[in-house]
Amino acid sequence: MSYLMYILLFGLVLGLVAVASNPSPYFAALGLVVVAGVGCGVLVGSGGCFLSLILFLIYLGGMLVVFAYSAAMAAEPFPEGWGSWPTLRLMVGYVAGVGVAWGLMGKFWYEEDWLGFDGVVELSVLRGDVGGVSLMYSSGGWLLIGGGWVLLLTLFVVLELTRGLSRGALRAV
Amino acid sequence: MAPFVYSTLIISLGLGTAMTFASTHWYLAWMGIEINTLAIIPLMTQNHNPRAIEATTKYFFAQATASATLLFAAVSNAFLTGGWDILQINHPLTSTLTTLALAMKIGLAPLHSWMPEVMQGLSLLTGLILSTWQKLAPFCLIYQIQPDNPNVFITLGLLSVIVGGWGGFNQVQLRKILAYSSIAHLGWMILILPFSPPLTLLTLFTYLMMTFSLFSSFMLVRTTHINSLSISWAKIPTLTASVPLILLSLGGLPPLTGFLPKWLILQELTKQDLAPIATLAALSSLFSLYFYLRLSYTMTLTMPPNNPAGTLPWRLNPQHNTLPLALTTTTTIFLLPATPTILALFTF
Repeated sequence: MSYLMYILLFGLVLGLVAVASNPSPYFAALGLVVVAGVGCGVLVGSGGCFLSLILFLIYLGGMLVVFAYSAAMAAEPFPEGWGSWPTLRLMVGYVAGVGVAWGLMGKFWYEEDWLGFDGVVELSVLRGDVGGVSLMYSSGGWLLIGGGWVLLLTLFVVLELTRGLSRGALRAV
Repeated sequence: MAPFVYSTLIISLGLGTAMTFASTHWYLAWMGIEINTLAIIPLMTQNHNPRAIEATTKYFFAQATASATLLFAAVSNAFLTGGWDILQINHPLTSTLTTLALAMKIGLAPLHSWMPEVMQGLSLLTGLILSTWQKLAPFCLIYQIQPDNPNVFITLGLLSVIVGGWGGFNQVQLRKILAYSSIAHLGWMILILPFSPPLTLLTLFTYLMMTFSLFSSFMLVRTTHINSLSISWAKIPTLTASVPLILLSLGGLPPLTGFLPKWLILQELTKQDLAPIATLAALSSLFSLYFYLRLSYTMTLTMPPNNPAGTLPWRLNPQHNTLPLALTTTTTIFLLPATPTILALFTF
């Protein structure tokens, strides 16, 4: 398990570097998908199966839409992958940065956090993540209403920015 | 924009700030700031020209980066200390990260460069919202962080005062000058924050008054360029006569309200045995005073050659609602004698 977590965390950092090193949009979107997937794996490893499932379905579902759109909008004849020099240079730089950070901060690293929140599961009635969901619906009701309002607001904002013909903001550019 | 959408956006703008004000939890505070950012974006793109879209994009990128950093700081704090309380951010790493994120939100000096660029692309009304209302929510958070070490705040504040004065030097565009003026004033507020938080509130209050009157005056004479200021006397002579006083009040000259915060801040800094910093801040605000003086010179103290008929105020009475402007202009100019009362109001 520990070995698997090492691989997943390594993939997470590498995926973030791949996104940050500024490749063409659809390679970057691919990097984001990889990061999200690996991140879900890390969550499973830390004991949050339910949370991981939610994240995978919803976030990755949205991510696939973004992926499709950016692939459609930015279909370049010669896309910049991670093999071309400007991207590769950035990528090597970021990996070196991660290495330096590891060298500086690595001595503070300790493994006790991998216990996860269900490490003491025999003492509790509910699983941690399911308990969290029920708590969110019982004592966090107003917060949910706020969240729903924010989603509605985002819808308004996006519609206002992308509405058709001459009235949309994007057409002005 | 449709009235329903417009009112939804304005309500959400209020909701975001109110949410941040009311929250004690980092997550809700972050959420309020995000609502604020989202709600103002369509307002910024109301004028469909490429410059406004560019300004909006820049604003969104800067704010999104700052928000992500803020959320990261809050999560790290929860990870390290186990608490989400806003007042409990006492680990040095997270408190510094939070300070920097909020500094980017409100546009303090090393992280300020989005501010003039964004302001330049907006209408004056949106610019007014951006430089007053949008500052309130992050400011409320920055006010609640009590750092162990005031050096970060002093550095941010001093740099902002210097950059705010220096950057406005060579500008002819009013909106950029206003942005730099905003940076300089925020610098004063942050400079005094570790030593006397009530003084920060007082400075914020006077800054809101002064900025509101200046923006409203420019809105009335419909100008965004320093050259067109010189013909404003033909349009609204009374206002043109009082705008130099607003400008000098922003610059912080003695008989006007703007002197009040600067005076008290310098006094407090001297009491804290920080005389060199106080001197540097006072000298740097001379830069700001220089471009305020240039604006008042162009607007009032000089008059282009004209025939006598051209010097008469021949226009019809303007139909704008000028009551808010009248109120804030009065407070901007005449509030200094009330210093003890105001001080008692903010420090009790």
